[in-house]
Amino acid sequence: MVKTKLPEDLEEEMKKLKEEMANLKEQLKDVTERTRKGKRGIHIDIGNRVHDYVEDVLEEVAEGIHGELKKSIFIGPRGVRILRDRPPHRREEELEVSLPKVAEVMSALGQEHRLEILRELMSGGKYINELQEKLSEITTSTLSSHLKVLEEVGLVVQEKVRGRYLITMPGRAAYKMARRVTRFLERRNLE
Amino acid sequence: MTWREFQLGSPISKVTETTTLWQAERGIVEISENALAIPIELGDQQKGHVFHGQGKLLLDAIAETDEGAIGKTIEKELDEPFLMLGETAKIGQHLTKASEEDFIKMSYENQQGFIDKAKDLCDQFFKGKVNNHEAFGRDHGLIFAFQNEANKLDVLFAKGSKLVYKATDIVFVSNENKVVLKSPGEVVCSSNGKSVIIKK
Repeated sequence: MVKTKLPEDLEEEMKKLKEEMANLKEQLKDVTERTRKGKRGIHIDIGNRVHDYVEDVLEEVAEGIHGELKKSIFIGPRGVRILRDRPPHRREEELEVSLPKVAEVMSALGQEHRLEILRELMSGGKYINELQEKLSEITTSTLSSHLKVLEEVGLVVQEKVRGRYLITMPGRAAYKMARRVTRFLERRNLE
Repeated sequence: MTWREFQLGSPISKVTETTTLWQAERGIVEISENALAIPIELGDQQKGHVFHGQGKLLLDAIAETDEGAIGKTIEKELDEPFLMLGETAKIGQHLTKASEEDFIKMSYENQQGFIDKAKDLCDQFFKGKVNNHEAFGRDHGLIFAFQNEANKLDVLFAKGSKLVYKATDIVFVSNENKVVLKSPGEVVCSSNGKSVIIKK
């Protein structure tokens, strides 16, 4: 084995490191001795490493929540809600909804009298004259055209034999959604 | 005596005016003027008719639930021969003897053409699953059988407020506020406002 001589400055550096290690060993020995004797209040200065450590831990926690639990946590004025990730097939279905169709449904909802018709039908099927009594400010032909719009998008269905108008399942859902969105926006505006 | 022993009777008639063959809260069957009608007999009793002309079936196959209405109105133009059992006496008031011209108007070469078509329909209905007199009971109400696009029979049973409609893609049963609806997308059982919905 060939022994190579180290450069002088490096040899000096090594010497310093050895001294520092000996010093640290001495400190560790002292700490161990004091701990063994039951003395409390040991202070070890680890400086910026605390910050780095906390940051690493938080990052891991965040990754864990997102990657493994597949949940989102929404903290709002009314408390904490945990929103689970939807299964992939549901997301695909949502993407498949054509925007013109969405616009058509939203357009049917976007009229005060049509919303009023839906609200009236929420309490049960009604004949056109019953609806006319509730919406006396519009003519029968206007009412009929509103009902036609709602029927075309599937929010309302008419019994062809009896003539009654009924709100459909999507109709109820759409009316509730419209109210919820409005309430949500109103609350936000108040905040 | 069983339904297999049915016979087509005489005379062959035509409808004198638009006639409502059945009407209830949820449905209606109408037949227009000039439609042909041939009686169905079992032994010496007249039990019904086979009609061919312009007719219409409307049926509100809709279930009302707390979550909203499910179903649709079935609208069917009855331009193919269809069968009706029951209430023959009432129908008789709206019939008169058909002439050779009336058969030609309905695209038959002659009277026999209509008889053959009516017999095919009755064979399909009576020689199928329902094969005896007792199967309908003594007071069976009204029974209709309409040929569909798949050359099968859609059947409607109606008695008072009770009705059963069975087609290829839908089954609808109703008795006042009780409804059962089976469609390709869901099954709904609704009784006096309470309902169970099973989505497929």
